Amino acid sequence: MTATARLSRLFGRRRAPSEVDARRASLGTLVIFLAPALLIYAAFTVYPVLRTFYNSVHTIKPRGVEEFVGLANFDALLHTDLVFWKAVGNTAIFAIVATIADVLGGLLLALCLFSRVPFAKLLRVVWFTPVLMSYVVVGIIWVWIYDYDWGLANAILRWLGLGNFEQSWLGDPRTALWSVMTTHIWKWLGFNMIIFLAALSALPGEVLGAAELDNCGWFAKLVYIIIPMLRPTIVNLLVLSFVGKMMIFDLVWIMTGGGPLWSTETVSTYVYKRAFDWNTFDLGYPSAIAVLWFAIILVFVVVMTRLLRQRDKLEF
Amino acid sequence: MTASALSWSAHARRAPLLLFLVLYTVLTGGPFLWVAIMSVRTTPEIFASPYALPSRFHWEKFVDAWTNSNYGTYFWNSTIVVVSAVALLTIIGAMVAHCLARYRFRGNRLVRFIILSGMILPPQLLILSLFQILLDYHLYNTLSGLVIVYVAGHLAMTVYILEGFFAQIPQDLFDAARMDGYSDFEIFWRITLPIGVPAIFTTVTLNFIILWNEFLYAVVLLTEDDKRTLPLGIMHFMGSHQLDVGMVATGLMIAITPIILVYGFFSETMIKGMTAGAVR
Repeated sequence: MTATARLSRLFGRRRAPSEVDARRASLGTLVIFLAPALLIYAAFTVYPVLRTFYNSVHTIKPRGVEEFVGLANFDALLHTDLVFWKAVGNTAIFAIVATIADVLGGLLLALCLFSRVPFAKLLRVVWFTPVLMSYVVVGIIWVWIYDYDWGLANAILRWLGLGNFEQSWLGDPRTALWSVMTTHIWKWLGFNMIIFLAALSALPGEVLGAAELDNCGWFAKLVYIIIPMLRPTIVNLLVLSFVGKMMIFDLVWIMTGGGPLWSTETVSTYVYKRAFDWNTFDLGYPSAIAVLWFAIILVFVVVMTRLLRQRDKLEF
Repeated sequence: MTASALSWSAHARRAPLLLFLVLYTVLTGGPFLWVAIMSVRTTPEIFASPYALPSRFHWEKFVDAWTNSNYGTYFWNSTIVVVSAVALLTIIGAMVAHCLARYRFRGNRLVRFIILSGMILPPQLLILSLFQILLDYHLYNTLSGLVIVYVAGHLAMTVYILEGFFAQIPQDLFDAARMDGYSDFEIFWRITLPIGVPAIFTTVTLNFIILWNEFLYAVVLLTEDDKRTLPLGIMHFMGSHQLDVGMVATGLMIAITPIILVYGFFSETMIKGMTAGAVR
Protein backbone atom coordinates (compact mmCIF):
# COMPACT_ATOMS: atom_id res chain seq x y z
CA MET A 1 0.00 0.00 0.00
CA THR A 2 1.32 3.44 -0.86
CA ALA A 3 1.71 6.18 1.71
CA THR A 4 -1.24 8.16 0.39
CA ALA A 5 -3.44 5.11 0.38
CA ARG A 6 -2.41 4.46 3.94
CA LEU A 7 -3.31 8.02 4.91
CA SER A 8 -6.67 7.83 3.20
CA ARG A 9 -7.23 4.56 5.01
CA LEU A 10 -6.72 6.35 8.30
CA PHE A 11 -8.53 9.59 7.78
CA GLY A 12 -10.34 9.39 4.43
CA ARG A 13 -13.70 7.91 3.57
CA ARG A 14 -13.15 6.30 0.15
CA ARG A 15 -11.62 2.88 -0.17
CA ALA A 16 -11.58 -0.16 -2.38
CA PRO A 17 -14.30 -2.77 -1.58
CA SER A 18 -11.68 -5.38 -0.64
CA GLU A 19 -10.67 -3.26 2.35
CA VAL A 20 -14.10 -3.33 3.95
CA ASP A 21 -13.29 -6.07 6.49
CA ALA A 22 -13.67 -4.23 9.81
CA ARG A 23 -11.51 -6.80 11.62
CA ARG A 24 -8.42 -5.69 9.73
CA ALA A 25 -6.40 -2.54 10.06
CA SER A 26 -3.30 -1.33 8.28
CA LEU A 27 0.01 -1.38 10.07
CA GLY A 28 -0.01 2.43 10.29
CA THR A 29 -3.34 2.44 12.07
CA LEU A 30 -2.20 -0.18 14.55
CA VAL A 31 0.97 1.76 15.26
CA ILE A 32 -0.94 4.98 15.89
CA PHE A 33 -3.34 3.26 18.27
CA LEU A 34 -0.72 1.27 20.17
CA ALA A 35 2.42 3.40 20.11
CA PRO A 36 1.71 5.88 22.94
CA ALA A 37 0.84 3.12 25.39
CA LEU A 38 3.67 0.82 24.35
CA LEU A 39 6.28 3.60 24.51
CA ILE A 40 5.24 4.74 28.00
CA TYR A 41 4.95 1.14 29.10
CA ALA A 42 8.38 0.24 27.76
CA ALA A 43 10.11 3.26 29.30
CA PHE A 44 8.37 3.33 32.69
CA THR A 45 7.47 -0.29 33.39
CA VAL A 46 9.49 -2.79 31.36
CA TYR A 47 12.77 -0.89 31.55
CA PRO A 48 12.55 -0.24 35.32
CA VAL A 49 11.82 -3.92 35.97
CA LEU A 50 14.84 -5.01 33.93
CA ARG A 51 16.96 -2.36 35.62
CA THR A 52 15.90 -3.61 39.05
CA PHE A 53 17.05 -7.11 38.09
CA TYR A 54 20.33 -5.59 36.87
CA ASN A 55 20.69 -3.56 40.08
CA SER A 56 20.15 -6.62 42.24
CA VAL A 57 23.53 -8.06 41.23
CA HIS A 58 25.37 -4.75 41.59
CA THR A 59 26.25 -2.22 44.24
CA ILE A 60 24.73 1.06 43.11
CA LYS A 61 26.07 4.21 44.72
CA PRO A 62 25.15 7.83 43.86
CA ARG A 63 26.90 9.58 40.94
CA GLY A 64 26.68 6.50 38.74
CA VAL A 65 29.15 4.38 40.69
CA GLU A 66 28.28 0.74 39.96
CA GLU A 67 30.13 -2.39 40.90
CA PHE A 68 29.25 -5.94 39.88
CA VAL A 69 28.94 -8.15 42.95
CA GLY A 70 27.25 -11.25 41.55
CA LEU A 71 24.97 -12.96 44.03
CA ALA A 72 26.62 -11.35 47.09
CA ASN A 73 23.52 -9.26 47.83
CA PHE A 74 21.32 -12.35 47.90
CA ASP A 75 23.89 -14.21 49.97
CA ALA A 76 24.00 -11.47 52.61
CA LEU A 77 20.23 -11.21 52.55
CA LEU A 78 19.63 -14.89 53.18
CA HIS A 79 22.44 -15.59 55.63
CA THR A 80 23.32 -12.55 57.69
CA ASP A 81 20.44 -10.06 57.57
CA LEU A 82 18.40 -10.54 60.76
CA VAL A 83 16.16 -7.55 60.11
CA PHE A 84 15.16 -9.03 56.76
CA TRP A 85 14.05 -12.27 58.39
CA LYS A 86 12.16 -10.34 61.05
CA ALA A 87 10.43 -8.44 58.22
CA VAL A 88 9.64 -11.70 56.40
CA GLY A 89 8.10 -13.13 59.58
CA ASN A 90 5.97 -10.03 60.16
CA THR A 91 4.83 -9.90 56.55
CA ALA A 92 3.95 -13.62 56.60
CA ILE A 93 1.88 -13.27 59.78
CA PHE A 94 0.21 -10.20 58.31
CA ALA A 95 -0.52 -11.82 54.96
CA ILE A 96 -1.93 -15.04 56.42
CA VAL A 97 -4.01 -13.69 59.31
CA ALA A 98 -5.33 -10.57 57.60
CA THR A 99 -6.18 -12.44 54.39
CA ILE A 100 -8.27 -15.03 56.22
CA ALA A 101 -9.94 -12.36 58.37
CA ASP A 102 -10.67 -10.20 55.32
CA VAL A 103 -12.22 -12.94 53.21
CA LEU A 104 -14.16 -14.60 56.03
CA GLY A 105 -15.31 -11.28 57.50
CA GLY A 106 -16.28 -9.95 54.08
CA LEU A 107 -18.38 -13.07 53.47
CA LEU A 108 -20.17 -12.72 56.82
CA LEU A 109 -20.86 -9.01 56.22
CA ALA A 110 -22.22 -9.81 52.77
CA LEU A 111 -24.49 -12.50 54.24
CA CYS A 112 -25.77 -9.97 56.80
CA LEU A 113 -26.82 -7.57 54.06
CA PHE A 114 -28.08 -10.41 51.88
CA SER A 115 -30.55 -11.62 54.51
CA ARG A 116 -32.95 -8.74 53.76
CA VAL A 117 -32.15 -6.46 56.65
CA PRO A 118 -33.65 -2.94 56.78
CA PHE A 119 -31.66 -0.14 55.07
CA ALA A 120 -29.37 -2.67 53.34
CA LYS A 121 -28.57 -0.24 50.51
CA LEU A 122 -27.55 2.56 52.85
CA LEU A 123 -25.52 0.23 55.07
CA ARG A 124 -23.65 -1.07 52.04
CA VAL A 125 -22.63 2.45 51.08
CA VAL A 126 -21.47 3.30 54.61
CA TRP A 127 -19.61 0.00 55.10
CA PHE A 128 -17.76 0.54 51.85
CA THR A 129 -16.53 4.03 52.78
CA PRO A 130 -13.18 2.98 54.39
CA VAL A 131 -12.15 1.28 51.13
CA LEU A 132 -12.21 4.64 49.35
CA MET A 133 -10.17 6.54 51.90
CA SER A 134 -6.42 6.89 51.46
CA TYR A 135 -4.01 5.08 53.74
CA VAL A 136 -2.86 8.48 55.02
CA VAL A 137 -6.38 9.37 56.15
CA VAL A 138 -7.08 5.93 57.62
CA GLY A 139 -3.63 5.68 59.20
CA ILE A 140 -3.78 9.04 60.96
CA ILE A 141 -7.33 8.47 62.23
CA TRP A 142 -6.29 5.12 63.69
CA VAL A 143 -3.10 6.54 65.22
CA TRP A 144 -5.46 8.82 67.15
CA ILE A 145 -7.83 5.97 68.00
CA TYR A 146 -4.87 4.01 69.42
CA ASP A 147 -3.47 7.06 71.30
CA TYR A 148 -2.63 6.18 74.90
CA ASP A 149 -3.99 9.34 76.53
CA TRP A 150 -7.09 10.33 74.61
CA GLY A 151 -7.57 7.59 72.02
CA LEU A 152 -10.92 5.93 71.52
CA ALA A 153 -9.62 2.39 72.13
CA ASN A 154 -8.49 3.12 75.67
CA ALA A 155 -11.50 5.38 76.31
CA ILE A 156 -13.85 2.50 75.51
CA LEU A 157 -11.87 0.09 77.71
CA ARG A 158 -12.06 2.55 80.61
CA TRP A 159 -15.78 3.07 80.01
CA LEU A 160 -16.33 -0.69 80.11
CA GLY A 161 -14.40 -0.85 83.37
CA LEU A 162 -11.51 -2.73 81.75
CA GLY A 163 -8.95 -0.04 82.55
CA ASN A 164 -6.33 -2.73 83.23
CA PHE A 165 -6.18 -3.52 79.54
CA GLU A 166 -5.22 0.00 78.56
CA GLN A 167 -2.28 -0.13 76.17
CA SER A 168 0.03 2.02 74.21
CA TRP A 169 -1.26 0.03 71.24
CA LEU A 170 1.27 1.15 68.65
CA GLY A 171 4.10 1.78 71.10
CA ASP A 172 4.34 -1.74 72.50
CA PRO A 173 6.18 -4.29 70.32
CA ARG A 174 3.75 -6.99 71.46
CA THR A 175 0.61 -5.24 70.20
CA ALA A 176 1.87 -2.97 67.40
CA LEU A 177 1.64 -5.50 64.52
CA TRP A 178 -1.83 -6.66 65.55
CA SER A 179 -3.05 -3.08 65.90
CA VAL A 180 -1.88 -2.13 62.41
CA MET A 181 -3.42 -5.35 61.11
CA THR A 182 -6.78 -4.50 62.70
CA THR A 183 -6.77 -1.16 60.91
CA HIS A 184 -5.89 -2.83 57.63
CA ILE A 185 -8.70 -5.39 57.98
CA TRP A 186 -11.11 -2.59 58.91
CA LYS A 187 -10.20 -0.74 55.71
CA TRP A 188 -10.57 -3.71 53.35
CA LEU A 189 -13.52 -5.70 54.78
CA GLY A 190 -15.94 -3.56 52.78
CA PHE A 191 -14.20 -4.47 49.52
CA ASN A 192 -14.51 -8.21 50.11
CA MET A 193 -18.11 -7.72 51.21
CA ILE A 194 -19.04 -5.97 47.94
CA ILE A 195 -17.52 -8.71 45.82
CA PHE A 196 -19.31 -11.41 47.80
CA LEU A 197 -22.60 -9.49 47.54
CA ALA A 198 -22.22 -9.44 43.75
CA ALA A 199 -21.43 -13.16 43.73
CA LEU A 200 -24.31 -13.99 46.10
CA SER A 201 -26.90 -12.20 44.02
CA ALA A 202 -25.68 -14.18 40.99
CA LEU A 203 -26.39 -17.51 42.76
CA PRO A 204 -29.48 -19.41 41.54
CA GLY A 205 -32.31 -18.69 43.97
CA GLU A 206 -33.81 -22.20 43.79
CA VAL A 207 -30.89 -23.83 45.58
CA LEU A 208 -31.13 -21.54 48.58
CA GLY A 209 -34.93 -21.94 48.52
CA ALA A 210 -34.58 -25.74 48.53
CA ALA A 211 -32.28 -25.54 51.54
CA GLU A 212 -34.91 -23.41 53.26
CA LEU A 213 -37.54 -26.12 52.66
CA ASP A 214 -35.23 -28.81 54.00
CA ASN A 215 -35.17 -26.75 57.19
CA CYS A 216 -31.44 -26.46 56.92
CA GLY A 217 -29.83 -24.39 59.70
CA TRP A 218 -28.04 -21.24 58.56
CA PHE A 219 -24.64 -22.59 59.55
CA ALA A 220 -25.17 -25.79 57.56
CA LYS A 221 -26.44 -23.71 54.67
CA LEU A 222 -23.29 -21.62 54.83
CA VAL A 223 -20.87 -24.55 54.99
CA TYR A 224 -22.56 -27.00 52.61
CA ILE A 225 -24.19 -24.73 50.05
CA ILE A 226 -23.02 -21.13 50.01
CA ILE A 227 -19.27 -21.61 50.47
CA PRO A 228 -18.94 -24.40 47.85
CA MET A 229 -20.96 -22.37 45.35
CA LEU A 230 -18.87 -19.26 45.96
CA ARG A 231 -15.62 -21.17 45.62
CA PRO A 232 -14.29 -19.35 42.52
CA THR A 233 -14.95 -15.97 44.14
CA ILE A 234 -13.32 -17.09 47.38
CA VAL A 235 -10.23 -18.32 45.53
CA ASN A 236 -9.92 -15.05 43.62
CA LEU A 237 -10.28 -12.96 46.75
CA LEU A 238 -7.83 -15.08 48.73
CA VAL A 239 -5.16 -14.68 46.05
CA LEU A 240 -5.86 -10.98 45.49
CA SER A 241 -5.90 -10.18 49.19
CA PHE A 242 -2.80 -12.28 49.92
CA VAL A 243 -0.76 -10.65 47.16
CA GLY A 244 -1.80 -7.19 48.33
CA LYS A 245 -0.72 -7.93 51.88
CA MET A 246 2.62 -9.40 50.86
CA MET A 247 3.42 -5.96 49.44
CA ILE A 248 2.00 -3.89 52.30
CA PHE A 249 3.80 -0.59 52.74
CA ASP A 250 1.65 2.53 53.09
CA LEU A 251 -0.31 1.80 56.25
CA VAL A 252 2.70 0.47 58.17
CA TRP A 253 4.86 3.37 57.07
CA ILE A 254 2.24 5.92 58.14
CA MET A 255 1.27 4.36 61.46
CA THR A 256 4.55 3.03 62.90
CA GLY A 257 7.32 3.41 60.31
CA GLY A 258 8.20 -0.24 61.02
CA GLY A 259 8.86 0.25 64.72
CA PRO A 260 8.96 -0.14 67.62
CA LEU A 261 11.99 -2.46 67.58
CA TRP A 262 11.19 -3.78 64.08
CA SER A 263 7.96 -5.26 65.46
CA THR A 264 5.97 -4.00 62.44
CA GLU A 265 8.78 -4.01 59.87
CA THR A 266 7.56 -5.51 56.61
CA VAL A 267 9.58 -6.46 53.56
CA SER A 268 8.39 -3.38 51.68
CA THR A 269 9.14 -0.89 54.45
CA TYR A 270 12.56 -2.49 54.80
CA VAL A 271 13.22 -2.09 51.07
CA TYR A 272 12.29 1.59 51.33
CA LYS A 273 14.44 2.12 54.40
CA ARG A 274 17.50 0.42 52.93
CA ALA A 275 17.17 2.48 49.75
CA PHE A 276 16.36 5.95 51.08
CA ASP A 277 16.75 6.13 54.87
CA TRP A 278 19.91 4.22 55.70
CA ASN A 279 23.10 6.03 54.88
CA THR A 280 24.49 3.05 52.97
CA PHE A 281 23.25 4.90 49.81
CA ASP A 282 23.13 1.60 47.96
CA LEU A 283 20.23 0.76 45.65
CA GLY A 284 21.59 -2.69 44.77
CA TYR A 285 20.85 -4.44 48.06
CA PRO A 286 17.20 -3.27 48.34
CA SER A 287 16.73 -4.22 44.68
CA ALA A 288 17.86 -7.73 45.55
CA ILE A 289 15.21 -7.84 48.30
CA ALA A 290 12.55 -6.67 45.83
CA VAL A 291 13.54 -9.28 43.24
CA LEU A 292 13.61 -12.13 45.76
CA TRP A 293 10.27 -11.09 47.21
CA PHE A 294 8.68 -10.83 43.76
CA ALA A 295 9.83 -14.36 42.98
CA ILE A 296 8.33 -15.63 46.24
CA ILE A 297 5.00 -13.86 45.59
CA LEU A 298 4.89 -15.32 42.08
CA VAL A 299 5.48 -18.84 43.38
CA PHE A 300 2.74 -18.40 45.99
CA VAL A 301 0.25 -17.14 43.42
CA VAL A 302 0.92 -20.06 41.08
CA VAL A 303 0.80 -22.63 43.88
CA MET A 304 -2.33 -21.15 45.47
CA THR A 305 -4.30 -20.99 42.23
CA ARG A 306 -3.15 -24.50 41.23
CA LEU A 307 -4.00 -26.06 44.60
CA LEU A 308 -7.34 -24.36 45.07
CA ARG A 309 -8.45 -24.83 41.47
CA GLN A 310 -7.25 -28.46 41.42
CA ARG A 311 -9.63 -29.39 44.20
CA ASP A 312 -12.37 -27.81 42.13
CA LYS A 313 -11.71 -30.34 39.40
CA LEU A 314 -11.69 -33.30 41.78
CA GLU A 315 -14.99 -32.37 43.39
CA PHE A 316 -17.09 -31.94 40.31
CA MET B 1 -50.68 -17.00 68.82
CA THR B 2 -51.50 -13.75 66.98
CA ALA B 3 -49.64 -12.57 63.94
CA SER B 4 -48.15 -9.61 65.75
CA ALA B 5 -46.75 -11.83 68.48
CA LEU B 6 -45.18 -14.02 65.82
CA SER B 7 -43.45 -11.14 64.11
CA TRP B 8 -42.35 -9.86 67.52
CA SER B 9 -40.61 -13.13 68.27
CA ALA B 10 -39.09 -13.10 64.77
CA HIS B 11 -37.74 -9.63 65.47
CA ALA B 12 -36.40 -10.71 68.84
CA ARG B 13 -34.54 -13.56 67.18
CA ARG B 14 -32.95 -11.11 64.79
CA ALA B 15 -32.06 -8.64 67.55
CA PRO B 16 -28.37 -9.67 67.72
CA LEU B 17 -28.10 -9.26 63.95
CA LEU B 18 -29.69 -5.80 64.05
CA LEU B 19 -27.46 -4.79 66.96
CA PHE B 20 -24.43 -5.90 64.96
CA LEU B 21 -25.58 -3.88 61.95
CA VAL B 22 -25.79 -0.74 64.09
CA LEU B 23 -22.40 -1.39 65.74
CA TYR B 24 -20.60 -2.04 62.46
CA THR B 25 -22.14 1.05 60.87
CA VAL B 26 -20.85 3.14 63.78
CA LEU B 27 -17.45 1.44 63.47
CA THR B 28 -17.09 2.25 59.75
CA GLY B 29 -18.82 5.63 59.55
CA GLY B 30 -18.02 6.92 63.04
CA PRO B 31 -14.30 7.67 62.60
CA PHE B 32 -15.00 9.88 59.57
CA LEU B 33 -17.76 11.72 61.43
CA TRP B 34 -15.31 12.20 64.31
CA VAL B 35 -12.72 13.75 61.98
CA ALA B 36 -15.38 15.97 60.41
CA ILE B 37 -16.33 17.24 63.86
CA MET B 38 -12.70 17.76 64.91
CA SER B 39 -11.97 19.65 61.70
CA VAL B 40 -14.14 22.55 62.91
CA ARG B 41 -12.89 22.51 66.51
CA THR B 42 -9.65 24.02 67.77
CA THR B 43 -6.90 21.87 69.24
CA PRO B 44 -7.36 23.17 72.84
CA GLU B 45 -11.08 22.34 72.57
CA ILE B 46 -10.27 18.84 71.32
CA PHE B 47 -7.80 18.15 74.11
CA ALA B 48 -10.30 19.42 76.70
CA SER B 49 -12.84 16.88 75.46
CA PRO B 50 -11.94 14.77 72.40
CA TYR B 51 -15.41 13.41 71.68
CA ALA B 52 -17.62 16.47 72.28
CA LEU B 53 -19.66 18.17 69.57
CA PRO B 54 -18.42 21.57 68.37
CA SER B 55 -19.53 24.44 70.62
CA ARG B 56 -18.84 26.87 67.78
CA PHE B 57 -18.00 26.03 64.17
CA HIS B 58 -14.48 27.27 63.43
CA TRP B 59 -14.76 27.42 59.64
CA GLU B 60 -11.82 29.83 59.59
CA LYS B 61 -9.55 26.82 60.23
CA PHE B 62 -10.10 25.75 56.62
CA VAL B 63 -8.98 29.18 55.38
CA ASP B 64 -5.99 28.99 57.70
CA ALA B 65 -5.03 25.50 56.49
CA TRP B 66 -5.50 26.47 52.85
CA THR B 67 -3.32 29.59 52.98
CA ASN B 68 -0.91 29.35 55.93
CA SER B 69 -0.28 25.60 56.06
CA ASN B 70 0.20 25.16 52.31
CA TYR B 71 -2.80 22.85 51.88
CA GLY B 72 -3.90 25.03 48.95
CA THR B 73 -0.69 24.13 47.08
CA TYR B 74 -1.00 20.45 47.98
CA PHE B 75 -4.60 20.42 46.80
CA TRP B 76 -3.75 21.97 43.42
CA ASN B 77 -0.76 19.67 42.96
CA SER B 78 -3.00 16.67 43.60
CA THR B 79 -5.65 18.04 41.25
CA ILE B 80 -3.16 18.69 38.42
CA VAL B 81 -1.51 15.28 38.75
CA VAL B 82 -4.72 13.29 39.07
CA VAL B 83 -6.65 15.09 36.31
CA SER B 84 -3.78 14.84 33.79
CA ALA B 85 -3.04 11.23 34.63
CA VAL B 86 -6.69 10.18 34.43
CA ALA B 87 -7.18 12.03 31.12
CA LEU B 88 -4.08 10.43 29.58
CA LEU B 89 -4.95 7.00 30.96
CA THR B 90 -8.46 7.20 29.52
CA ILE B 91 -7.36 8.24 26.02
CA ILE B 92 -4.31 6.00 25.71
CA GLY B 93 -6.00 3.08 27.44
CA ALA B 94 -9.11 3.35 25.27
CA MET B 95 -6.97 3.39 22.11
CA VAL B 96 -5.18 0.20 23.12
CA ALA B 97 -8.39 -1.47 24.32
CA HIS B 98 -10.14 -0.62 21.05
CA CYS B 99 -7.25 -1.97 19.04
CA LEU B 100 -7.04 -5.24 21.00
CA ALA B 101 -10.79 -5.78 21.08
CA ARG B 102 -11.46 -4.90 17.45
CA TYR B 103 -8.61 -5.86 15.18
CA ARG B 104 -7.11 -9.22 14.32
CA PHE B 105 -3.42 -8.73 13.78
CA ARG B 106 -0.15 -10.57 14.27
CA GLY B 107 1.06 -9.97 17.83
CA ASN B 108 -2.35 -9.13 19.24
CA ARG B 109 -2.01 -11.68 22.03
CA LEU B 110 1.60 -10.69 22.72
CA VAL B 111 0.68 -7.01 23.15
CA ARG B 112 -2.21 -8.01 25.41
CA PHE B 113 0.02 -10.24 27.53
CA ILE B 114 2.74 -7.60 27.89
CA ILE B 115 0.37 -4.84 28.92
CA LEU B 116 -1.84 -6.92 31.22
CA SER B 117 1.16 -8.47 32.98
CA GLY B 118 1.64 -5.00 34.46
CA MET B 119 -1.20 -5.82 36.85
CA ILE B 120 0.86 -8.32 38.85
CA LEU B 121 4.07 -6.29 39.17
CA PRO B 122 4.63 -5.19 42.77
CA PRO B 123 5.49 -1.48 43.07
CA GLN B 124 8.68 -2.36 44.99
CA LEU B 125 10.07 -3.96 41.85
CA LEU B 126 9.72 -0.66 39.98
CA ILE B 127 10.13 2.09 42.50
CA LEU B 128 13.91 1.97 43.07
CA SER B 129 14.84 2.04 39.41
CA LEU B 130 12.08 4.55 38.61
CA PHE B 131 13.82 6.81 41.11
CA GLN B 132 17.07 6.43 39.14
CA ILE B 133 15.36 6.76 35.75
CA LEU B 134 13.47 9.93 36.65
CA LEU B 135 16.75 11.38 37.94
CA ASP B 136 18.38 10.52 34.58
CA TYR B 137 15.55 12.09 32.59
CA HIS B 138 15.39 15.18 34.86
CA LEU B 139 11.84 14.25 35.80
CA TYR B 140 12.60 13.66 39.49
CA ASN B 141 10.72 16.09 41.73
CA THR B 142 8.41 17.17 38.91
CA LEU B 143 4.67 16.70 38.68
CA SER B 144 4.93 15.58 35.04
CA GLY B 145 7.28 12.77 36.08
CA LEU B 146 4.74 11.54 38.60
CA VAL B 147 1.97 11.75 35.98
CA ILE B 148 3.90 9.54 33.54
CA VAL B 149 4.68 7.02 36.25
CA TYR B 150 1.00 6.91 37.22
CA VAL B 151 -0.05 6.42 33.60
CA ALA B 152 2.42 3.56 33.14
CA GLY B 153 1.39 1.97 36.44
CA HIS B 154 -2.37 2.02 35.88
CA LEU B 155 -2.50 1.33 32.16
CA ALA B 156 -2.89 -2.43 32.69
CA MET B 157 -6.02 -2.20 34.80
CA THR B 158 -7.58 0.48 32.58
CA VAL B 159 -7.01 -1.58 29.43
CA TYR B 160 -8.30 -4.71 31.18
CA ILE B 161 -11.63 -3.11 32.14
CA LEU B 162 -12.13 -1.22 28.87
CA GLU B 163 -11.20 -4.13 26.62
CA GLY B 164 -13.64 -6.42 28.38
CA PHE B 165 -16.42 -3.95 27.64
CA PHE B 166 -15.36 -2.97 24.13
CA ALA B 167 -15.17 -6.61 23.07
CA GLN B 168 -18.89 -7.00 23.82
CA ILE B 169 -19.93 -4.26 21.39
CA PRO B 170 -21.58 -6.11 18.45
CA GLN B 171 -19.29 -6.48 15.44
CA ASP B 172 -22.18 -5.65 13.07
CA LEU B 173 -21.94 -2.03 14.13
CA PHE B 174 -18.35 -1.86 12.97
CA ASP B 175 -19.01 -3.73 9.74
CA ALA B 176 -21.80 -1.28 8.96
CA ALA B 177 -19.58 1.68 9.75
CA ARG B 178 -16.92 0.29 7.42
CA MET B 179 -19.50 -0.10 4.68
CA ASP B 180 -20.47 3.53 5.15
CA GLY B 181 -16.83 4.41 4.63
CA TYR B 182 -15.83 5.39 8.16
CA SER B 183 -12.07 5.54 8.68
CA ASP B 184 -10.46 3.61 11.55
CA PHE B 185 -10.12 6.75 13.53
CA GLU B 186 -13.77 7.72 12.98
CA ILE B 187 -14.87 4.26 14.06
CA PHE B 188 -12.96 4.68 17.31
CA TRP B 189 -14.18 8.22 17.89
CA ARG B 190 -17.80 7.91 16.81
CA ILE B 191 -18.69 4.33 17.72
CA THR B 192 -16.41 2.74 20.33
CA LEU B 193 -16.08 5.78 22.59
CA PRO B 194 -19.76 6.82 22.73
CA ILE B 195 -20.95 3.26 23.28
CA GLY B 196 -18.16 2.60 25.78
CA VAL B 197 -19.11 5.53 28.02
CA PRO B 198 -20.26 3.37 30.98
CA ALA B 199 -16.95 1.47 31.04
CA ILE B 200 -14.96 4.68 30.56
CA PHE B 201 -16.86 6.25 33.43
CA THR B 202 -15.97 3.25 35.59
CA THR B 203 -12.26 3.52 34.86
CA VAL B 204 -12.29 7.30 35.35
CA THR B 205 -13.83 7.11 38.82
CA LEU B 206 -11.66 4.15 39.78
CA ASN B 207 -8.42 5.78 38.63
CA PHE B 208 -9.44 9.07 40.23
CA ILE B 209 -9.88 7.45 43.66
CA ILE B 210 -6.74 5.33 43.50
CA LEU B 211 -4.50 8.14 42.27
CA TRP B 212 -5.98 10.77 44.60
CA ASN B 213 -5.00 8.46 47.46
CA GLU B 214 -1.64 7.27 46.06
CA PHE B 215 1.24 7.50 48.52
CA LEU B 216 4.23 5.23 47.75
CA TYR B 217 5.29 6.58 44.33
CA ALA B 218 4.67 10.16 45.41
CA VAL B 219 6.74 9.83 48.58
CA VAL B 220 9.70 8.45 46.64
CA LEU B 221 9.51 10.71 43.59
CA LEU B 222 8.62 14.08 45.18
CA THR B 223 10.59 15.73 47.97
CA GLU B 224 10.17 19.49 47.51
CA ASP B 225 7.45 21.04 49.63
CA ASP B 226 5.76 22.96 46.83
CA LYS B 227 5.51 19.78 44.72
CA ARG B 228 3.85 17.62 47.36
CA THR B 229 0.45 16.04 46.71
CA LEU B 230 -2.21 16.01 49.43
CA PRO B 231 -1.33 12.68 51.09
CA LEU B 232 2.32 13.77 51.33
CA GLY B 233 1.35 17.23 52.51
CA ILE B 234 -0.76 15.82 55.32
CA MET B 235 2.02 13.42 56.36
CA HIS B 236 4.50 16.29 56.32
CA PHE B 237 2.21 18.50 58.39
CA MET B 238 1.54 15.62 60.80
CA GLY B 239 5.30 15.14 61.19
CA SER B 240 6.03 18.74 62.09
CA HIS B 241 2.83 19.56 64.02
CA GLN B 242 2.15 16.23 65.75
CA LEU B 243 0.24 17.87 68.59
CA ASP B 244 -1.90 20.21 66.50
CA VAL B 245 -4.63 17.58 66.14
CA GLY B 246 -7.27 20.14 65.16
CA MET B 247 -5.29 21.38 62.18
CA VAL B 248 -4.38 17.86 61.00
CA ALA B 249 -8.09 16.99 61.13
CA THR B 250 -8.86 20.03 58.96
CA GLY B 251 -6.24 18.83 56.47
CA LEU B 252 -7.73 15.33 56.46
CA MET B 253 -11.15 16.83 55.75
CA ILE B 254 -9.71 18.73 52.75
CA ALA B 255 -8.41 15.42 51.37
CA ILE B 256 -11.61 13.48 52.14
CA THR B 257 -14.15 15.99 50.81
CA PRO B 258 -13.64 15.46 47.03
CA ILE B 259 -13.92 11.70 47.52
CA ILE B 260 -17.06 12.01 49.63
CA LEU B 261 -18.58 14.36 47.02
CA VAL B 262 -17.84 12.00 44.12
CA TYR B 263 -18.96 9.03 46.21
CA GLY B 264 -22.19 10.79 47.18
CA PHE B 265 -23.17 11.24 43.54
CA PHE B 266 -21.74 8.08 42.00
CA SER B 267 -21.65 5.49 44.81
CA GLU B 268 -23.12 2.78 42.57
CA THR B 269 -20.62 3.35 39.74
CA MET B 270 -17.70 3.52 42.13
CA ILE B 271 -18.65 0.30 43.90
CA LYS B 272 -19.06 -1.35 40.51
CA GLY B 273 -15.71 0.03 39.39
CA MET B 274 -13.91 -1.29 42.42
CA THR B 275 -15.39 -4.74 41.86
CA ALA B 276 -14.76 -4.75 38.11
CA GLY B 277 -11.05 -5.41 38.57
CA ALA B 278 -11.61 -8.43 40.80
CA VAL B 279 -14.59 -10.29 39.34
CA ARG B 280 -14.20 -12.04 36.08
